[in-house]
Amino acid sequence: MMNDEMEQFERRLQNRPLKEIPGEWRAEILANCRGSRVEDREPEASWQSTFIARLSAIFWPHPKAWAGLAVVWVCIVMLNFSTHEKPHRVAEKIATAPQPEMVAELKQQRLMFAELLGATELRVADRPKSYLPKPQGKRMEVFTV
Amino acid sequence: MPGKPELERLYDEHAQVLFAFLLNLTRNEADTRDLLQEIFVKLARDGQLLSGVREERAFLIRLAHNAAIDLMRRRGTRERAKENLAELSSPFAATTDPDEQIFREELSVALAELPEEQRAVAHLKLWGGLTFEEIADALEIPPNTAASRYRYALDKMRGRLRPLYEEMKKAE
Repeated sequence: MMNDEMEQFERRLQNRPLKEIPGEWRAEILANCRGSRVEDREPEASWQSTFIARLSAIFWPHPKAWAGLAVVWVCIVMLNFSTHEKPHRVAEKIATAPQPEMVAELKQQRLMFAELLGATELRVADRPKSYLPKPQGKRMEVFTV
Repeated sequence: MPGKPELERLYDEHAQVLFAFLLNLTRNEADTRDLLQEIFVKLARDGQLLSGVREERAFLIRLAHNAAIDLMRRRGTRERAKENLAELSSPFAATTDPDEQIFREELSVALAELPEEQRAVAHLKLWGGLTFEEIADALEIPPNTAASRYRYALDKMRGRLRPLYEEMKKAE
């Protein structure tokens, strides 16, 4: 009885017709699908072409100004190179022979160092030895026997 | 990738079922159109989507269900709570018979009051003509769950529509 009633109710619900899909949607949806296909899309640009495109976008508006700036930079770099001392010249300067006064001074300093070192060694030798008490236990006697 | 005739075939065979299902879930024709568009764009972009699929309709219903759930989550519960149930778009066709129109409107509201998971099962069983196994496959739930959700949904709708239903039976 209960089941019959339920089935009847179900059938009554099933008989209610649903809304129809609007007819114009078909053309719109399928057209959008065609527009979004992978093969229809433009191939992705490589990083090189992207880089060049970005560079040209930066430089294109004022090409003369950028060219002038580049010339200035080249001049600065060239000037910088021409004023620098060459490395072998510096090496030559280092390698020149020392003056005799400087040599005499160095010798004197070396002697003084030698004297100072000799004095400290003597002081260490003259220092009295510290007294260390020997063990006086019975164990010592046993060892001596 | 499905070619033009393949996409058209899919549309002609399944769009009506998907439309009614999505309209019952979203209760908004613009959202239903967007979701339908989303599904067909997905099919157009990925040609392998339907390869190896045994039940085409069940698979498309699953896509539609997932898309509708995503949309509802995006919208959030706050926005849904503001919506007046009576103002929502009905999934049923309009009729000139006033009593029948009232019943359809009440049925639409009764369906809208159901939890989404029960509404989906009730729709697919009553108007999609799917078995519980097919519903289970489409919604990725066990068949027993589909059957119990259907029973709950039917009981609630029957309780909600009883006075109107009894009146209509007497009139017949």
